[in-house]
Amino acid sequence: MAKLYIDNDKYAEPNASVVVDAYHGAIHDLIRRKLESAGGDWASFVFDKSYDLITSKDFEAIEKKLLGTGHRFDWSAMISVRERPEAYKPATGLGDDIKNFSFEHPEAVVAPPDAQGREQRGVGDNVVKYPKNLVGIARYIRSSERVLELLTTGVPVETVAIIDDSGGTLTAPILEEFKGVICAGGTVRSHLGILTREYGIPCLMNAKVSGIKEGDRVEIECTANAKTAEAYQTGVEMTAKVWRLTK
Amino acid sequence: MGSNRITYAQLLETNNLIQMSADETYWLCVTRTVQESKLFPVPAYMMLSYMMSYYRYPSLLRKIESRMLAEEIGDRARNAGIKIQNPSMGWALPGFYLLGREWLITLGLIRPQDALQDLIYVMDFWKRFQLSWHRNNGHITNKEFGHRGQFLPERRVQIFHADMYDCSQGDELHEAAQNFMAAASQYGFLISCESRISLHNSGPYKLADDREMIVRDFMDLSESDFPWLDGVAADVPYNNLTVTMAVKDCHVYLVDDWGSFESKPAFTADKLTGVGLYTSDTLSDGYVPVAMGSREELTACFRSLTEKIKDANNKLWRRVAGWSRDQMIDAGAITYFSIIKDLAHVAGVYDVNDWMMVDERAERFRPLFNDEYSRDALVGLCIGTHTSHRLSEYTMMQHSNAPQRLYSLIPYSVLQGDDYTPSSGPIYPGASHLPAKVDRYNTTCGVIKLEEYNRLAREMRPPTVDPKYRYLCETWVKYHAGEPLADELYKLEQANSRLLKGKGSMLKRVDIEKLRASLR
Repeated sequence: MAKLYIDNDKYAEPNASVVVDAYHGAIHDLIRRKLESAGGDWASFVFDKSYDLITSKDFEAIEKKLLGTGHRFDWSAMISVRERPEAYKPATGLGDDIKNFSFEHPEAVVAPPDAQGREQRGVGDNVVKYPKNLVGIARYIRSSERVLELLTTGVPVETVAIIDDSGGTLTAPILEEFKGVICAGGTVRSHLGILTREYGIPCLMNAKVSGIKEGDRVEIECTANAKTAEAYQTGVEMTAKVWRLTK
Repeated sequence: MGSNRITYAQLLETNNLIQMSADETYWLCVTRTVQESKLFPVPAYMMLSYMMSYYRYPSLLRKIESRMLAEEIGDRARNAGIKIQNPSMGWALPGFYLLGREWLITLGLIRPQDALQDLIYVMDFWKRFQLSWHRNNGHITNKEFGHRGQFLPERRVQIFHADMYDCSQGDELHEAAQNFMAAASQYGFLISCESRISLHNSGPYKLADDREMIVRDFMDLSESDFPWLDGVAADVPYNNLTVTMAVKDCHVYLVDDWGSFESKPAFTADKLTGVGLYTSDTLSDGYVPVAMGSREELTACFRSLTEKIKDANNKLWRRVAGWSRDQMIDAGAITYFSIIKDLAHVAGVYDVNDWMMVDERAERFRPLFNDEYSRDALVGLCIGTHTSHRLSEYTMMQHSNAPQRLYSLIPYSVLQGDDYTPSSGPIYPGASHLPAKVDRYNTTCGVIKLEEYNRLAREMRPPTVDPKYRYLCETWVKYHAGEPLADELYKLEQANSRLLKGKGSMLKRVDIEKLRASLR
């Protein structure tokens, strides 16, 4: 079998990602075989013969082999799991099951109701400090179908969007209509953080929340200090509370 | 095999440029933000774009330089808010190419000494462009300047300063400008498939003890290069818009090579105390004022633009929501890969097949780019955890102190006979899952076809690169202000200025403030 230049790597270590390790091992084997079949001459292989010898079908076979072991991929974009549900882990909380869905972060800080009937259900990083806390109705916004529905019917007033996408595109046509945002990902510098700041919408990013259901009344402590760049870089905790209102 | 023309000095310099880019890539990726989306498969399209960049950038840059040198384009870049600023040139040109190279090294598909002449050429192009673009500050990147992005000559800063309208929170202009920037930012993320590369901030420029100016560009907003804007963006009247922003009691202490900034205290709407609006492109000969005749005109223009942009945003979102995964990946990968496409527009050699297609050599890898592998491979590339990144245990990388290097250096052993390959080859055919681009380009010369766009670009000879003025730099101005040639230079720039037209070269910052005060 032909040998690759990287086969003699003094400092190589396995990759922390199982999928990356599996893929790269299979790709190295593939290239060794193809190089061998091309006669072993690297100069004529690397930017010439390899273009015809290493094809998309070879990479499809590598994926098929991994899926054959029972592995199912994590998904990040809805379109991926929608087009190939057999290749990805199941998606929940995106359709009719939204009524019973809730984010359940293992590190969510929770507490029993206080004197005002506010039950803490988590914390997040405040994007901008406002003079008053915000109260509204929690609504999960996790799919383009939901966005399209709200774009058609209108975003109900008082909506506090509960989102796990820190990007600025999923909610692009309706973001301006939200009263507040609780985002389970990103940082105050994420695109969603930038946009809510520009629109003047109270927002907590990197929210670790638990037990907030569709339609719950919630309060966001947007009077807390905004999380600073230094706090992120030095690992200092600067959080704002999220309450579910029982009264 | 390569020839023996490569020198030790070339390799030393190229490796230095590679390392500089590696250090900043790590810092940017770790400290800026996580880019994610439930709509777009972002890591998948990023990985594909790096492959496209690796295989095509060397040939495309050579094609551009066959008409115009990198350093001349750098001179032109100082005078327009188009996509040859940050993050395009400050980071992405070397970054995308080197990230693609590193991934292929990790896969075992190339060696650090492969496509060596391509590599030396790409880094040399980058160096010459950057040094020219940064001519007024003398650095090669914002990072080297302590994360500061001052590019403009005094004569342009003075016009931005003088013609800006005061505003304060609660007044109509402030509200209109703020609403415009929110809508344009949102639209920018959508145009660019969740990336921030339609937006760029530069500066700050010191307006007074308590005020600084940020120059914010919104780019590729109308029907131009991206096929997905055909139709939906027809009513957006300008392809590029630049907003000049005065900020009070707020020091912008960091402007990075991605074109984003940090300030103390944090920049919030109440800190905005002045705005101006301009458009520009490769045909405009600099910045053209937009609705700058009066504050009422500017307020109305911001409102009108906001409505048009929101309409385009909603139409585009509906289009994107109906795309297949392959279409989303193509649009994102093309957005990333073509981040430097305006180099070709300036040179007048833009070709849709060069910039809006996925090269077939890159296309081979698409089946690998499921969400999970793409995510993990991308994170590994950006923070240095793949096998090719590993170094001796004694090594301490900048920022992380880990025994890693983000981009492999060229082995010097090629100078004593070790073999290398010179190039990854010419441009191969490409394809796209997206609809074909309509031959319609919204420019400052009207809506025109690409052939005319290229012709006009080739004929364009802005005064700033005229041999008579090109080397009249800030050092020269310091010692020749008030002389006829200096006044001529300033008056050329001042031709469209409301307050400074014909004023010449002797004004200082305090004079600009007095002029502004006299009109309040």
